[in-house]
Amino acid sequence: MRPDTTFEKIVWPVGFGLLVLVLWEVIVRVFGVSPAILPPPSAIAAAMAGSLPILWEDWVQTVVKGALNGLWMGTLAALILALIIDRFDFLKRGLMPVANFFAALPIVGLAPIMVMWFGFDWHSKAAVVAIMVFFPMLVNILGGLAAVDPMHRDLMRTYGATHIQTLHKLRGPAALPFLFNGLKIATSLALIGAIVAEYFGSPIRGMGFRITTEMGRLATDMVWAEIVVSAVTGTALYGLVAGIEKRVTFWHPSQRG
Amino acid sequence: MKKLLTSAAALAAIGSGAFAADDVTLQLKWVTQAQFAGYYVALEKGFYEEADLNVTIKPGGPDVAPVQVLLGGGADVMVDWMPSALAARENGAPVVNIAQPYKSSGMMLTCLKETGITGPEDFPGKTLGVWFYGNEYPFLSWMGKLDIPTDGSEGGVTVLKQGFNVDPLLQKQAACISTMTYNEYWQVIDAGISADDLVTFKYEDQGVATLEDGLYVLEDSLTDEAFKDKMARFVAASMEGWKYAEENPEEAAEIVLEYDETGAQTMEHQVRMMTEVAKLTAGSNGALDVADYERTVESLLSGGSDPVITKEPEGAYTLEITDAALN
Amino acid sequence: MSKIIPVLTVLVALIVIWYAAAVKMNSTWTYDQAERAGSEVTFSELITDTMSQKRPLLPAPHQIVAELWDTTIEKKITSKRSMVYQGSITLKTTLLGFGFGIVIGIALATVIVLSRIGRLTLMPWAIISQTIPIVALAPIIVVLSNAVGTGTLMVPKAIIAAYLSFYPVLVSMVKGLQSPDQMQLDLLKTYGASQSEVFWKLRLPSSMPYFFASLKVSVAAAFVGAVVAELSTSAIAGLGARMLIGSQFGEPMIMWAALFAAAILAAILIFLVGGFEKLARNLMGGRAV
Repeated sequence: MRPDTTFEKIVWPVGFGLLVLVLWEVIVRVFGVSPAILPPPSAIAAAMAGSLPILWEDWVQTVVKGALNGLWMGTLAALILALIIDRFDFLKRGLMPVANFFAALPIVGLAPIMVMWFGFDWHSKAAVVAIMVFFPMLVNILGGLAAVDPMHRDLMRTYGATHIQTLHKLRGPAALPFLFNGLKIATSLALIGAIVAEYFGSPIRGMGFRITTEMGRLATDMVWAEIVVSAVTGTALYGLVAGIEKRVTFWHPSQRG
Repeated sequence: MKKLLTSAAALAAIGSGAFAADDVTLQLKWVTQAQFAGYYVALEKGFYEEADLNVTIKPGGPDVAPVQVLLGGGADVMVDWMPSALAARENGAPVVNIAQPYKSSGMMLTCLKETGITGPEDFPGKTLGVWFYGNEYPFLSWMGKLDIPTDGSEGGVTVLKQGFNVDPLLQKQAACISTMTYNEYWQVIDAGISADDLVTFKYEDQGVATLEDGLYVLEDSLTDEAFKDKMARFVAASMEGWKYAEENPEEAAEIVLEYDETGAQTMEHQVRMMTEVAKLTAGSNGALDVADYERTVESLLSGGSDPVITKEPEGAYTLEITDAALN
Repeated sequence: MSKIIPVLTVLVALIVIWYAAAVKMNSTWTYDQAERAGSEVTFSELITDTMSQKRPLLPAPHQIVAELWDTTIEKKITSKRSMVYQGSITLKTTLLGFGFGIVIGIALATVIVLSRIGRLTLMPWAIISQTIPIVALAPIIVVLSNAVGTGTLMVPKAIIAAYLSFYPVLVSMVKGLQSPDQMQLDLLKTYGASQSEVFWKLRLPSSMPYFFASLKVSVAAAFVGAVVAELSTSAIAGLGARMLIGSQFGEPMIMWAALFAAAILAAILIFLVGGFEKLARNLMGGRAV
């Protein structure tokens, strides 16, 4: 089998995407679908071009203030807690099952409660996001810290390395692929959390607010415009994490080949 | 009156000559509660059946736009507020008012007295909770009339999109919140805040009342005589249900509870809601009062820099159905 | 069993912290009410009041347990107020979405593994699909399914659940279907096996351990999807809808009870699927991935 060229890697998916868009436009026009139900892509593009300031304001409110703030808070908290409980075997054995359990829960259900606690502005959104990303990050970091070849660890011990040194030189780097794996999950969770939380009360800006409000006004082209923005944001964040991962963990087998 | 309605409906049923009952799907604006008691009573008491109709009632919710369900063919007729219906009409959804069971508006702004608000002139600088999803129009047009900016600029109010509960007031996240006389106001009271600690502004008293729960259908469907006949029977039977509910609030509340799929409603709350709702429906025989319509349109057009609708709507209502239903 | 004591210790610590937080968070309301009534609050009054408010900011654990007990054991299962009834609706959505997810995941993985063009075209979009916040699409999915005439909310909810749950299956199946090494593939070629025989007799069987390993993640994703769907599509039944209704009607206890019921149901689901995975692995000769 011949290897894929970069050209092919781009042309096929992009071509597929364009095909879907063209089909969509044609179907909507041929069957005369009401724009209130499904607007054609051209109308969505026009809506986006016509309301850039609004889209930007919403993006700042939801992504920058809500999602990203929550993301760094949740990740930092998970990192700190992971480093602490990593030192105490008792805590690790006690917390791992609990954290694993919480990681699988629909934590997004906390959204209405967070709005009640932290008010309507971005704080409550960041809180939902922080809790949502906290558990997957914790589980991944702890898993990563444990993923060291025992032989390597013994070697460090024979060198007389301290806990900090072992962490810095051996276990930290070994945990990085896990950390990035967790981050990839966390970025898409962060967007979901920030948008859902806006359904339960918000100031009069934000992507979740706009989606529900414009839906009520039958301005579906605007709803789709926000969906496009959220999709592009989600993909870009994922790409960013994957890009950093490639640079930082170039030595890891998963990045070779 | 009741007899007359029934016989009109029965006559209409014979007139249509159909043996199988006609299917009608009604999309509500909100969850099952006494706000829609008339329809549930008509269903439970067999008024629809007598009119040879097979009615299905679909409850709504916070993220259901009844207009969209109507457009998508998921319902034949919907309950909506006139501001959002007219706004939808301007956005290319040709809906027409065929009946108006609610005569008066039940919308209010409820404020905590401790915030120092005594009149609308105290609003600037305060945070006000407003419903969105098509329910924000009456508020926007009121603020437009008062000339208070709502975009967060100097001398204006900060607007919150409140969820459908009264928490923002209880948690003091907002100085005032939107309430309905028949629902949220009582949630505030039930939460333990006495009426003396509250200041309320009824839209009706402020002269900015807009028409609430009315029945709307798609304009195209009104070209069909059979459909018009079906709607006439539907409106007649629904109004019979409403009048019955007004007279028997306890029984109406019980019927509503039976249809409540959420299981979150209580008898006490529903009886109280029915009593309050009865005050709003009392003045209506189902027919739209054109003067009310014009006042609503005027109020929506006058919304300052950002009016809810930009031009006088045409053909947004028809009296044909209620004329047929009530004569 | 070295886990039990540490886990219990952690849980006890959490509950103690919870009680303390409940007193702290609910005290504002107590003081406000006392101020409106013009009376003083003693410490013991504060504790009793914060433990038993009707609309607490943070209910005490025993209040939640009582509410759960009341809505699962005391209520008839058919009652709309029963968490068992509400949970069964969410469960139905989850399983339907999970089923869709498995079918879609396997189908896409097959196309991706068998066709180079399929892989080039679909794989990037599969990854992108997971970075799109599905909740943004929820209202649109509801409107579209309504327009197509599905009538109930079950289909749009299941679509949302499937959207989240197909991905883990897809990723594992792609890995699994590609797991036979060149030697095995060459061997089948010497036997003169056709492409479809290679697929059915080698690729598919060797992908099974990967498939079963993905189920646990997939079912958890389907469950989260079902709850998110109920939260964002104005469903009137199901655990997600209970959370929404609790919020709308100012009944925080309903919200908390639904949240915990969801946690318990998720645990049961994951436990069952995990058990199924172990069973399947043992039947296949204990090959772990």
